[in-house]
Amino acid sequence: MGGIPFDCLANPLGAVRITFERAISSGSDPKTFNGKDWGAIEVFKECLFDQNGLSQVPILDSSTIGRIKPNSLVRFRGMVQDMLGNELYVGAFKDGSTWRTNKFTDVASFPMNSSSEMSMWERRLLYCVPVPGQSPWVVEASSSAAAASSEAAINRGDNWASQQGEKRRRDDDTSVDTMDCNISNHEAKGSPSSTKKMREDGLPCQAFQSHELEIGETSSMQSVIPDFDTKSLSCLVKIYDSPETELKLNDVFEFVGVFTFDPELVASKNETDDSDALFEDELVNLPPNKRVPYVIRGIRESLVGYLTAVLGNDGVAAQSVLLHLLSQVHTRVDTVAVGKLSLNLTGFTKETVSVFGNQLNLAIQSLLPLTQALPLTVEYLNTASLAPKKDYKSNRLITGSLQLADGTHLILDETQLNPGTLNSTGVENVQILKSLMEMQKVEYDFEYYKLEMSSDVQLLVLSEGKSNILPADLVLPFQPSSVGSSLNADANALQAWRWYLATLRSQPHVIDPELQKVIENDLVEARQEDRSLGSNDFSRWLTMARLMSASFGETSLSLEHWQMVKELERLRKNRLK
Amino acid sequence: MASDSSPSHRNGGPSSPIDQSSSPIANTNSSPGDAAQRRRRRERSPSDASLFATPPSQRARFDATPTPSSTQSGRGGRRSRATPMATPTSTDDAIPSSDGGEGEEAAPPMYVWGTNISVHDVNAAILRFLRHFRENPLQTEGKYMRAIHHILEIEGETLDVDAHDVFDYDSDLYTKMVRYPLEVLAIFDIVLMEMTSKINDLFEKHIQARIFNLRTSTPMRNLNPSDIEKMVSIKGMIIRCSSIIPEIREAVFKCLVCGYFSDPVGVDRGRVSEPPRCNKEECRALNSMALVHNRCRFADKQIVRLQETPDDIPEGGTPHTVSLLMHDKLVDAGKPGDRVEVTGIYRAMSVRVGPTQRSVKSLFKTYIDCLHIKKTDKSRMQAEDQTEHLNASDNMNEDVPADFQDKVEQLKELAKLPDIYERLTRSLAPNIWELDDVKKGLLCQLFGGSALKLPSGASFRGDINILMVGDPGTSKSQLLQYIHKLAPRGIYTSGRGSSAVGLTAYVAKDPETGETVLESGALVLSDRGICCIDEFDKMSENARSMLHEVMEQQTVSIAKAGIIASLNARTSVLACANPSGSRYNPRLSVIDNIHLPPTLLSRFDLIYLLLDKADEQADRRLAKHIVALHFENPESIQQDVLDLPTLTAYLSYARRYVHPKLSDEAADELTRGYVELRRRGNFPGSSKKVITATPRQIESLIRLSEALARIRFSEWVEKHDVIEAFRLLEVAMQQSATDHATGTIDMDLITTGVSASERIRRENLVSATRNLIMEKLQLGGPSTRSMELLEELKKQGSAEIHLNDLRNALATLAGEGFIVLLGDTVKRI
Repeated sequence: MGGIPFDCLANPLGAVRITFERAISSGSDPKTFNGKDWGAIEVFKECLFDQNGLSQVPILDSSTIGRIKPNSLVRFRGMVQDMLGNELYVGAFKDGSTWRTNKFTDVASFPMNSSSEMSMWERRLLYCVPVPGQSPWVVEASSSAAAASSEAAINRGDNWASQQGEKRRRDDDTSVDTMDCNISNHEAKGSPSSTKKMREDGLPCQAFQSHELEIGETSSMQSVIPDFDTKSLSCLVKIYDSPETELKLNDVFEFVGVFTFDPELVASKNETDDSDALFEDELVNLPPNKRVPYVIRGIRESLVGYLTAVLGNDGVAAQSVLLHLLSQVHTRVDTVAVGKLSLNLTGFTKETVSVFGNQLNLAIQSLLPLTQALPLTVEYLNTASLAPKKDYKSNRLITGSLQLADGTHLILDETQLNPGTLNSTGVENVQILKSLMEMQKVEYDFEYYKLEMSSDVQLLVLSEGKSNILPADLVLPFQPSSVGSSLNADANALQAWRWYLATLRSQPHVIDPELQKVIENDLVEARQEDRSLGSNDFSRWLTMARLMSASFGETSLSLEHWQMVKELERLRKNRLK
Repeated sequence: MASDSSPSHRNGGPSSPIDQSSSPIANTNSSPGDAAQRRRRRERSPSDASLFATPPSQRARFDATPTPSSTQSGRGGRRSRATPMATPTSTDDAIPSSDGGEGEEAAPPMYVWGTNISVHDVNAAILRFLRHFRENPLQTEGKYMRAIHHILEIEGETLDVDAHDVFDYDSDLYTKMVRYPLEVLAIFDIVLMEMTSKINDLFEKHIQARIFNLRTSTPMRNLNPSDIEKMVSIKGMIIRCSSIIPEIREAVFKCLVCGYFSDPVGVDRGRVSEPPRCNKEECRALNSMALVHNRCRFADKQIVRLQETPDDIPEGGTPHTVSLLMHDKLVDAGKPGDRVEVTGIYRAMSVRVGPTQRSVKSLFKTYIDCLHIKKTDKSRMQAEDQTEHLNASDNMNEDVPADFQDKVEQLKELAKLPDIYERLTRSLAPNIWELDDVKKGLLCQLFGGSALKLPSGASFRGDINILMVGDPGTSKSQLLQYIHKLAPRGIYTSGRGSSAVGLTAYVAKDPETGETVLESGALVLSDRGICCIDEFDKMSENARSMLHEVMEQQTVSIAKAGIIASLNARTSVLACANPSGSRYNPRLSVIDNIHLPPTLLSRFDLIYLLLDKADEQADRRLAKHIVALHFENPESIQQDVLDLPTLTAYLSYARRYVHPKLSDEAADELTRGYVELRRRGNFPGSSKKVITATPRQIESLIRLSEALARIRFSEWVEKHDVIEAFRLLEVAMQQSATDHATGTIDMDLITTGVSASERIRRENLVSATRNLIMEKLQLGGPSTRSMELLEELKKQGSAEIHLNDLRNALATLAGEGFIVLLGDTVKRI
């Protein structure tokens, strides 16, 4: 491992210790560190990103947890579900006459004398869960990657000392495999939530220098949150050296850290695996994948074709769904979330929904990394807890179905909703859904007050008539003409579509002043003709125009795309009549 | 040693005068004065640890909570005061402090460990402060001297000390107090004890100083290791209170062999050590001592969780919490849900991994040892606001924290702006253009008039109700949504399927279209708020009848299971309705346009017609705005307006604290204007009487002018408020109550749905018909058909006559007993 005299991957705490001692010996006073980094992060950064170490770091999940050794470096990907505040710990203490550090660990590495001089530092606790609503293909891909990389790590662990020469080559091979796998994953899922979300697998990330490295500590607590299946692994992540503002609730991150498994804590109800020394990476931008426009057009065409087939040959619906899938909140003005495009497909009956609804659901699941579906029934509304709620007994934020990472797609099936009485929970749930629809905000219940959290969820409502409970931006009567035949898209196409949706979604977009004039005139004209048009309609048109243009991979609106939106709107109007 | 999680061990070098944090203080407040002093003297002289361990340390405040600092007081502590966490309680020094307190005999200056704080100096400074601090130089006796005397009289236990006073008098003392609270407070208590014993030897209680109102208050999430052992002040909301924990202070043991009762044994670092053998000379039995519960002394303790209030939480964060430790009098001082400001000492405590664990976690739990707690509920901007006139003294005398004062000052500055009315109007729904007068009306509604309750029981509502009628696409709904968000307790509901009461709702499905709608109860929920009802015209008859009661009596009656309950619904109603035709027909009256019963309509103070005038300019502005919203930096769209939080704060403050009264001048103007308005209905030389204003209008006018005064934070309704109120009313009436046949304002249009000119026309028709029938029909003769009569009338008359009008006229005649109507046939009798 180059000039680094220590093994960051297998013995990260050792590396931390060495850098600490180095810093001390070079004359730094640990009391002045105040918890700040003394150079350890540099070393890890170099090891992980400059030397491709990241791909060899095993991914921590339920399948690998049994095999990963405590105190080794791991990766954990998850959504920040709850923030447990700050914690004070003895950061540095004097063991005899030598300073020791406890950073990145829960248990002191050296005996801590009670009377010794010590310095107290602070770290943040985050409770992270696997991202809710991950589509099967994402889970599969990541678990295979995890298996591969942990395989590598485990091999390495087993064989490191004895058979270095021979085995190492083998390890490298394995990790190359992992890397390939990662790349394709990445392309496919393409960091679905765009702006700054998922830092996928690290490898593509290397093209950027935008790593925000954090060192943290994770410990996972299973079985605390009942809503997630027990197979998934939640993790308590301890973050060091991070400015508060950087991590927000519901953000998705990949953390790199020291894994600490504390069996004693298992006994005391919380199964706690700690991992320490976490880097948390943010992907600020998507890789600038330079695909030529005609490729994008091709992908678009095939995707629309696929959606049309899924939707029983309803081309207008397919176009609308495409725009809907590309939508994303890009600014907020007052209470208006600009850029969202929730879609309400009407005309479903209980029968058709079982055919087309399911098909659509499956199709979206195979296209987007994060998807959820909620069947709306009176019973469900009366009993479900949609918004997260703080439980002060356990001092935990109990998650709700609507605690979703940004960029999640949510299907609300209203066809199952029969007349019936809603109780107060039901009324509240409906209000929550409505505010999500209208403002992309969810009110979290902290018992003594509610806190509004911004969200960015794509909402698709399937209903019989227009849903007044869930007022969507775009209401379209769904008119299938045939039952879709075979809908199996081949893997390559799927990969391309996934990449397409993830990439084009977050592209910046502008409109040049000339076209602005044209659009303004069009709007004025439209309003002169039809006085019932209001700002909501105009807002929707412009959102659609932006998305339409984005769907062709353009970054500035052209007249052609504007016309297409108007045409689409005309077709929709016809159906509404 | 490392494995030792129990604090006592960690402290315990034998030579360390352990946990003195408790001892000096304990002495100060526990035992009766003289005894304590004597004992202290005894303890003091030798620095023998064993003696220190024995004295009963019953001090309530700080003991039993080993802190990291005390952990190191043994070895490292003295040397390393510098590190923040290392600030030890080091009350070993406070011990000598008691010498200093007692004063004269202790010669060498004593210092607080690791600092240059001289115990003696601090003692003197505190004494000076207490003796000489005066808020007002004219006072003969110092503020705190008076307070101490007062406490002696009422046998109180605590002296509240305003930290601002300390700072004003001696900023150096303030700094020391904040940085080394444990030591300084111990001295403070000692000084107090001496003072009280000088004033009254028999006073046996120990007065504790409770510091409050620090100059700076720390946001909860900014508490960090450097604050440990410092005095901090934080704000938050109490979310949990533990039950009261009895904490043992003095234990008494009894020998099971001989029945000898031991001396009270004090608590030492959270532990009571059981005497190994009986102390009685004759007995000396080993391991015979047992705790006698009912002779022990206990103190109250409570653990309280404090959580950040929503305004302190950054976006995308969850609220932080902190634990508070309350003792004695502070127990149950706050309840969950209270907003409080707490002054206390931030402390940390090492965490045991588990009771049986040997491994030390490098963790510390933090909490705040509470000194003082103050409810800040009164300062809450979004507080339950009241339009009702409470006793003025009720809210004036409350002491409010400084930052609230600042905010209020800001708001008052705003209120002084000459254009505040216009500015507020602009700030209201800035995304909706024009409609300035409508917005002004809405503004009045938000601020509200003063409700009045006469001793006789009659009450006048202060809520202003507004109805907006208009064409689709005139942003009625947006206005409604906006108000709903801004208003305190705003409730938004759609008239379609509002069931007006009840907290449950019903999902209904339109049988034809399959559209789902939600029937919800809203009025009760919006008590003291604004109930925004969209699609008012679609409201069911039933629900609407409920509104009659709400809008005048301000209550809702529910009959359920034989019990009629009357719930308060002191709500302003903001409704909007669409014309029954798709567009508003200007030729018809408001009532004909929206099919609302006139009785209900007359309860609205202001009725606005929002007609879409197909104004290209307005459309263009809208288009421009929306394009900009989507493609430009939205920041640049904002003009010179108040932001939403300021607006809300302004509103809440005005609603809560400003209760304007009518000035004489305004009252005169009101009378004059009303008479003028009434007179306008009497056209000179015309016999027809048009009612242009009713007593309801004068009530509306009063409410409006009160609201306008409130907007200016003025306690008096001035003449110009009244003039503006008249203008607003007239604008609204001009739109809704203008009789299109004559162009005059006619309140009858709203109160009865029929304008005066229409009434005259009808009367004319009736008499014409009567004449015709007199001419054509014989008494008891053959009948005739109404169609024929219509033909005849058309021949005679000049005006257009509809069959309907004729039918109405015939019905009137039938009522007079002049004719008999049988279906379509008319017979004279």
